[in-house]
Amino acid sequence: MNAIEIKGLTKNFKEKQALCGLDMTVPVGAIYGFIGENGSGKSTTEKIICGLIHKSSGTVKLFSKDHTDPEIRSQMSALIEAPGCFPNMSVWNNMMLQAANLDISNAEQEVVKVLKLVRMEGAAGNKYKNCSLGMKQRVGIAMALLGNPKLLVLDEPINGLDADGMRIMREVLTDISKTGATVVISSHILGELEKIATHYGIIKGGKMLKEMTAAELEADCRTYTALQAKDMSRAKAILSCKYSHVEEDESGYIRVYDTVTPEEIVCYLYENGIIITEIGKAKIGLEEYYIDLMKGGK
Amino acid sequence: MKELNFKSPTFFERLRGMLGVDFYRLFHTPMFYIFLAIAAVIPAMILGTMGMENPQTGTVAEPLYTNTWHIIAAETPLYVVNNIADYANMNMVFIFGGIMVSIFIGHDYKSGYVKQLFTTHAKKQDYMLSKTIIGAFSMACMCITYLLGAVGGGLFAGTAFEVNVGSLVIAVISKMIMSLGWASLYTFLNIIFRRYFGVSIVSCFFFGTGILIIGAAAVFGNNAILNIFLYGSSVYACLSSSVLTLIVCLICSAAWTAVYTVAGTRILSKCDVY
Repeated sequence: MNAIEIKGLTKNFKEKQALCGLDMTVPVGAIYGFIGENGSGKSTTEKIICGLIHKSSGTVKLFSKDHTDPEIRSQMSALIEAPGCFPNMSVWNNMMLQAANLDISNAEQEVVKVLKLVRMEGAAGNKYKNCSLGMKQRVGIAMALLGNPKLLVLDEPINGLDADGMRIMREVLTDISKTGATVVISSHILGELEKIATHYGIIKGGKMLKEMTAAELEADCRTYTALQAKDMSRAKAILSCKYSHVEEDESGYIRVYDTVTPEEIVCYLYENGIIITEIGKAKIGLEEYYIDLMKGGK
Repeated sequence: MKELNFKSPTFFERLRGMLGVDFYRLFHTPMFYIFLAIAAVIPAMILGTMGMENPQTGTVAEPLYTNTWHIIAAETPLYVVNNIADYANMNMVFIFGGIMVSIFIGHDYKSGYVKQLFTTHAKKQDYMLSKTIIGAFSMACMCITYLLGAVGGGLFAGTAFEVNVGSLVIAVISKMIMSLGWASLYTFLNIIFRRYFGVSIVSCFFFGTGILIIGAAAVFGNNAILNIFLYGSSVYACLSSSVLTLIVCLICSAAWTAVYTVAGTRILSKCDVY
């Protein structure tokens, strides 16, 4: 069963078409990294899934039922833009209000449980308005986690966080996935997303460009040999004579994408009088893969 | 893989949760207590200060009221307002109530609370009902503090307290019943102008003054047909009220609540939430 199944989804805002026939499939239990440029339609898709905005056409099914079904909707949760907290209330009171809203019977234990999960148990007494951005995001996630939702939609939850905040958020999201919930996360910070996502969806211009699992991404991401030499331009020219795909990247390394070992390259360049200062095998990450895809590359 | 079970919350479970949140918020909103105090102070001030001597001229202004209960309601339904004394009565709390509801709904949208709410609560009517009930409750509370303020002011000013107690009780209860209809109107207005907080407050104030009905009364006179409107029924709850008044107010309030709740639910269901 799929947690989300979208077919031919369109959304028009007056003359602007935000989504043009989007298809999306999120399996149950996945951490789905939803990637795309600003204005590509990520938030619009998420808001439609959450029932906040209406679709123009297409079908949106959550756990095989229509996304407007109250049964399904009572089992999902979201963090879209602001967490929806009242600034003058404490974190604890905000959490308790959400628990009351969801009619959770053992509210206090549930709130303690989710606050622990997001590492916020020590700051429960703080007023929400006095929390840092990272803390606010975690409170938002804790609120979204109340009532053990089966589907969680998080819109840019790691934006604006410092390195420590991101690490905590990563741990939190990994812990959430262990509860069996399906999580959809949109983010621009692909390096972070790569560490936790099990599935990916790349959207461009309101259309799904590609959907894949983490394993497929791994297989798709090409390995290459990166090197630096004393005479870079000559090294590149010599390598280009023998290998079909040689290029220089932005950080000043020559990349050889052909299937070849670093030892072979060292020998070949040495024979041509080039001294290598650094060499090693590497793999393109999600970020580069994404940029490549956006440029229309393979 | 674990089997996924979905349980649909009942109407009462959904409403109980939402009302729980709204009541908690109401009792933790300073503005609620400020309006309760204002509702008490206004009649007390009007009654307490009238008839005071002007220290410069030495003259005493003619009192607006000779009977304390006239600040609660007129002797007979007066849709046509001839002077400020005809207008200044318990119906003023409905204006304060409008501002309360605007603040409440404005906060919901500003904080992003509605996004959370509508993600998990698919039924928009729950939201309409919850806000209507909370608004009605706050206005009913204001009616009580208004009554207490009037009694205090009357005792201080030494105005008369003669009244038909039964009619007075019915009038006050009827006005409290009318709170429900008013709250549904304000909730509806706030749903229409949900993206413009200032316009919401102004529109609530405008309708809360009953200016449209007062204007209609100026043209058509003191006509009982005006009782089909919220302000009309609120005026109908006067010091000569009978059981009929209570029934009229009950029907009018319930009918308008149903109309505004259905209309508001429809708007919420059709419109996107930003």
